Amino acid sequence: MNEVVIDCLGEACPVPLVKAQNKLKEMAVGDVLIVQIDHSCAMKNVPEWARKDGHNVEVEEVDDGEWEVIIEKTH
Amino acid sequence: MSAFKEYFVKVSKNEFYKKWLKDAWPYLTGAILLSLFQIVTLATTGNPWGVSGVFANWGAWLYEAVGGSVDKWYYFSSDGAQATLNNGFLNDPGTMRNVGIIFGALLATLLASQFKFKKIKSKKQVIAAIIGGLLMGYGARIAAGCNIGALFSGIASLSLSGWVFAIAMFFGAVVGSKLLVKFFM
Repeated sequence: MNEVVIDCLGEACPVPLVKAQNKLKEMAVGDVLIVQIDHSCAMKNVPEWARKDGHNVEVEEVDDGEWEVIIEKTH
Repeated sequence: MSAFKEYFVKVSKNEFYKKWLKDAWPYLTGAILLSLFQIVTLATTGNPWGVSGVFANWGAWLYEAVGGSVDKWYYFSSDGAQATLNNGFLNDPGTMRNVGIIFGALLATLLASQFKFKKIKSKKQVIAAIIGGLLMGYGARIAAGCNIGALFSGIASLSLSGWVFAIAMFFGAVVGSKLLVKFFM
């Protein structure tokens, strides 16, 4: 199992979403992608897309206005 | 001090705090509130909601404050625009609404404990923000409205222009996202 972190701090919507989508495509089933974001709309649309796509998703608030979206690729 | 901290830890775990202040509200709630406030705006000020036109007035007031005059400018030559400018900053409902939006947004992010100074990632971001901002401001003025004034208020007033704006904005957004992927990925 691989763990990949992408740093999207300071990136506005929808850059984190597109970056996460591109990255997840390259990864293998079972791998975990961690997206670091500080844009609250990315905190909504990144998990929404990943859940709709059927992956396991968790959101963690790591600091004031800073989140990590943890996506486990399931298929 | 620790009792103080304990209190805030307790507040942060409260389910109503989470639901109302911390988490983003559902899109449907937003849509209903926007519609209600559109009606309130129209009823109290006589004009539909607009955002960017107010900023043009702010520019005019600033220019007048340093001794300039916009009386001969085409954009400000109408009686309505002149009356708004003569009434002054504090008597303009649009100004009050925009100030409210700015302070309301700050208050909301503070209450959710999500305030953060975001770092600038690259020079590209700065250049894109400046070009984008200038184009949006210029576009909003020659289109006589932004996505609130021309689109939302236009459609809410059953005006055909709102739908024309919507179609143009859709194609603009397609081009915009292509540029975004090209330069920011």
